This record gives sequence, structure tokens and C-alpha cells, in this order.
Amino acid sequence: MASVKLTGVKKIYDNNVVAVHDFDLEIKDKEFVVFVGPSGCGKSTTLRMIAGLEDISDGTIEIDGEVVNDLQPKDRNIAMVFQNYALYPHMTVYDNIAFSLRLQKRPEDEIYDKVTNAAEILGITEYLMRKPRALSGGQRQRVAIGRAMVRNSKVFLMDEPLSNLDAKLRNQMRAEIILLRQKLNTTFVYVTHDQTEAMTLGDRIVIMKDGYIQQVGTPTEVFEMPKNLFVAGFIGAPQMNIIKTQLTKEGGKYYVKPFGVKLEVDGQKGEDLAKKGVATRDIALGVRPEHITLTHDKNAIPCTLEVNEMMGSELHLHVFTEDGTRLIVRVPTITLDPKDREELVAGKKVYVTFSGKVMHFFDPETTENLLN
Amino acid sequence: MNNEKRHMGMRTLNAVSNTTIHILLVIISIIWIIPFFCIVMQSFRVESTHMVSYVIPHTWGLDNYKNLFAEGSFYPKWYLNTFIIAIFVAVLQTLIVLCMSYTLSRFRFKIRTKLMRFMLILGMFPGMLTLIILYNVLKDLGLTEANSVPGLILVYVASSGMGYYVSKGFFDTIPKSLDEAARVDGATRAQVLYKIIMPLAKPIVIYTILTAFMAPWGDYVFAQYVAHLVPDGYNVAVGLNSWLSLDQIANNYTKFCAGGVLVALPVGILFMCLQKYYVEGVTGGAVKG
Repeated sequence: MASVKLTGVKKIYDNNVVAVHDFDLEIKDKEFVVFVGPSGCGKSTTLRMIAGLEDISDGTIEIDGEVVNDLQPKDRNIAMVFQNYALYPHMTVYDNIAFSLRLQKRPEDEIYDKVTNAAEILGITEYLMRKPRALSGGQRQRVAIGRAMVRNSKVFLMDEPLSNLDAKLRNQMRAEIILLRQKLNTTFVYVTHDQTEAMTLGDRIVIMKDGYIQQVGTPTEVFEMPKNLFVAGFIGAPQMNIIKTQLTKEGGKYYVKPFGVKLEVDGQKGEDLAKKGVATRDIALGVRPEHITLTHDKNAIPCTLEVNEMMGSELHLHVFTEDGTRLIVRVPTITLDPKDREELVAGKKVYVTFSGKVMHFFDPETTENLLN
Repeated sequence: MNNEKRHMGMRTLNAVSNTTIHILLVIISIIWIIPFFCIVMQSFRVESTHMVSYVIPHTWGLDNYKNLFAEGSFYPKWYLNTFIIAIFVAVLQTLIVLCMSYTLSRFRFKIRTKLMRFMLILGMFPGMLTLIILYNVLKDLGLTEANSVPGLILVYVASSGMGYYVSKGFFDTIPKSLDEAARVDGATRAQVLYKIIMPLAKPIVIYTILTAFMAPWGDYVFAQYVAHLVPDGYNVAVGLNSWLSLDQIANNYTKFCAGGVLVALPVGILFMCLQKYYVEGVTGGAVKG
């Protein structure tokens, strides 16, 4: 259990490629922080710098108040789970888990207790005498987690631990990691490119792009108040619809006119815009697919249905407006009349609308959220 | 119908090519084995000691083998010299090659690629070019003639780092994340090498030991120059060859054959026991080398 503090951390590779720029972050004791972003955004590099597997080009990393810049991984008191499990193929599961304890020259009795205890928690007791190659992907990942668990380290680092698993197993392991976190009650730093994992696991999410932090916040904060267009697009699936339009201020009220249909920005959002003193201007309007509704109102935005994806509990409708802009609409199947549902086929004309309460307003040039 | 005919045609063609290949292989094997067969036969011939025009001995016996170890014979000394050299070289060269390969496979340092290229080019020059200069250096150090054993060990071990290619190729196939996991688990770089990488690289370690052992075991040219006509400093190859000189061959030919058989024995046994690893080592390194 420990805090982790990164101050001005930078990573420049030998070929002068800058992987991480001035990374500042304080991870509190027992906090679960998730680094998320697309490939090459620097999230794994940052994690590996915390682990000591990559040199730091500039800045400092502190674990529990101690600067660890020049410490070897073994001296940082961390545990790490790798994407490809990194189990030692020539050792049994028991020996894999016991490896770090044996290096510390702990007594065999203690090692036995710790290994069997970890195996019990992870449900791998019956596989202890097997070699890793005789295990399935999920079991291997459990062994990798077990290996990290027995070390009682200050910080638990996880580098895309679920990426190699199939979708079903991934969901199951995700729930298990949440339970594990409750049991271990330690500081976690978790790297993923999957926003669902980030949202469900993290106390706080760090969204990265091109080596820069885009936003740090709780899952609710990054979902409800994305700092810029990148975060807006990255968090939430399917991704947020972005519509280029104009924000107008008339008689103290704000309006937007997407696709020629005038909609009032009502509720808190209108008040917030007024507080910020935002004047009439061009904007990139963001609306999440789940906030767009189908309507029979002919004054709403007319669209043509292109693709209807049946997801089980909901439909993902890909529509395009009269000016050719593509939008995605998420419709819970339970809200649809069975007759209406059958009619939702490619080429069908539909009307969509959304409320002002769920709109996001971005500067089309700087991509920043106007309410930030 | 047509398909069946085509299948039949393919089968006949396969059978013909397989038979041809096997006949060729048998012929090559026979050609290969004839000299060995002759030497073994001659080593058991006791009716005479000079070269004869027949292969199968008229009288069989172990006299030649006994004579090798008779009092006053240099053979045990030569054998011991060769054995000491080969063992030292096998151990030292294996250590150097494995450390070198691990370093070049895992560490990224500024002159890494330049160093690898440099060694590749250097390796293209025949080793014989260094013969004269090496002889002079060893002579200055007092490591020639009767002291040729440490001298030869030095010569064989000195350039062993350059033979890193195969094992580096093998190490490259072992995921780096294993090293990283072990380092996070608390292992030092050295512990990573001998607790994680070495057990996984068993075939290549054995391949390296075998090749490191065999090179000095059968070397003639360097050993001949370094020992320079002092029988105490000979290795087996040089010693045996001295029995083939015009004034000695008449008395020593069958003894020479017996000596040759005993030289081949340990290497043969070693090879048969470790053959599996040897093949794995060569091919394993080649895949991603």
C-alpha cells in the first residue's frame, strides 16, 4: 500500500521519439487508477517506467514518498501482471507463484502457505502441479495474478491483463479483478485500451493520447464532462456523435440548429453556458448515441436508416441525415413497439431528436469543451 | 475417374522419388562409413604394424590398444592434454558465448549493431591468418612447446565471443517479458540468466558446449604450431600424426588406428546422447535468428 507520484515524467527514445510528455499524476494510497488510450499513446510506457523496466528521460517517480528513478525493478516493491502472462514455462504453477518468495529466501512453510492461499483465492489449487502450457488462457492469467499477489507489494501494476482473453472470459476476469482489489486493498495502476474496462474498474481514469494526458477524472466525470473531443469520442461505446453546427444566444437562452432543426439548450447546460459567458459561435456539438431518441414528430431531424445492428437488449441504428452526416442511435429494444421494430430496415426514413440537457459543446478548432 | 488416375500417378511418382533418394542416401552412407570401418578393423590387427592392402585383420587382438598405454608411450599425455584443453575451452567458451548472446539479445546500447557488424566482418577472415602473430605472442608469454596447453586454451577461448549468432537467435525467441517478470519478481540480471533463460535455452546451451568441446578436440594446425616438435606439448591429433612420419609409420600404423578410435569414442558417445538437443539447438536458433 503506497501512493505513487509522477512529476514531469518524460520518455524520449534513442531515435528521439517522445513517447511520454511531462506526465504529472498523483495516485493516492489504495486507489485504482486506469491508464487508457489508443495504441502508441504512451500508457504502457508510463506503467513500465513506474515498474522500472524503462528508463526515465526526465522527471521523478516517487513510490510511498521515495524517489525510485534509479532503483531496479526488484527494489521498488511492486508487482506486475503482463499482457502475455509471462509465466516461466519450465516451472510448475506452484514454482511460478513461489518464484519471488524463493528469491527472498523465505522459509518453505511460509511459501507453501502463501502460494496455497493465493491459489485458493484465484481457484487454481488443482492446477498447482501443472506446467503453464497445460493451462487455458484464463487460468494462466490467474497464475500471473497469483504470482503478483503473494509478494504483498506496495503497488500492483497491470499491463492490459485481459487483452489476450476472449470476450466472455474477459468479462468474468474483470469482475474477479474488482473482487481481488477489495481483498488486496492496495494501490493499483492498470493499463488498458478498452474503455469499458477503464470505466468499470477505475476509481480514476487517465486518458492519454500521443504521450499527453488528455483528462484525469472519475468514470462519471470523464463520461459526463469530457474535456475535449478526443475524450468524448474515446469514452462511451458506440462513440459520441459530433455535429458541426452553430450555438446561438437569443434573449438569454441558448439554441443549437443541427440539420436545420432548432433545439433549445435547456436545464443545467444552458445555465452553465450563460455562466461561462459563451456568445453565439460555431461549435462541435456532441450527443451520445443513447441520448438520441426516435420520434414520430415530423419536425424532428429527418434521417435515413442505413444499418440496424441488433445487440440483444438494444439496437444500434446507423443513420444519415439529409446533408449526409452519419449518426449512431442506441435504442433499447424494450422501448420499441414490435411493429415499429420490424419496420426499422435499411432505407427507412426515421426522425430523431435529443434534449438540450445531454448536449456537449466543443470548440471545433481547439477541440476543448466550452464548459470546462 | 480422372481424379483417381491423378492420385495414382502422384503416388507412383512419390514412391519412385522416395526410393531414389533412399538409394542415394545409402550409397553416401557407405562411402562415409568406409574410412571409419577400415580404421576400426586396422586397430584390431595384431599380425603386423605397418600398412597393408587388406581390411579385415588375419589375427585379431587388443595389442595396439595396450601399446597405446604402455610405459614410455606419449599417448596418455597427449590424450590428457587434449582433454584438459577441450574441457576448459568448453566451459569458458560456453560461458562467454552465452553471456555475449544474452547481452546482444537483451541490452540495447549505442554500439550494439556496430559491434555485431564488426564481428561479422572479422569472422569472415580465415583464422589461419593470425597463426604467425599468435605464435609469437604465445612464445613471448612462454606458452608454447611443453607449455602449449594453457597457450592453446587461450587461443581457442580468446575469440569465442564471436560465435554468438546461433545462441543469440535462440535467445531472441524467448519473450522479453519473461526477463521483465523475473526482474519485477526480485531477480537480478544474472539470476534472470541462470534461473529463467538458461533452463529455457537448454538445447542451445548443449549445442554451445558440444561445439566448444569439439573444436579443440580435433584441432591440428594451431596445436602443431604451438607445440612445435615437443611431444610433451602435443595434443592427440598432432601426436597421432607424428606416428605417420616416414620413419615411424612402419611400426606405428595400427597403433595410430587404435589411437584414432579412442579419440572418436568420447565425442561419438557425447553426440549420440545429446543429438536431440543438438538438432533443436541448430534449428531453434535458426527460426528467428
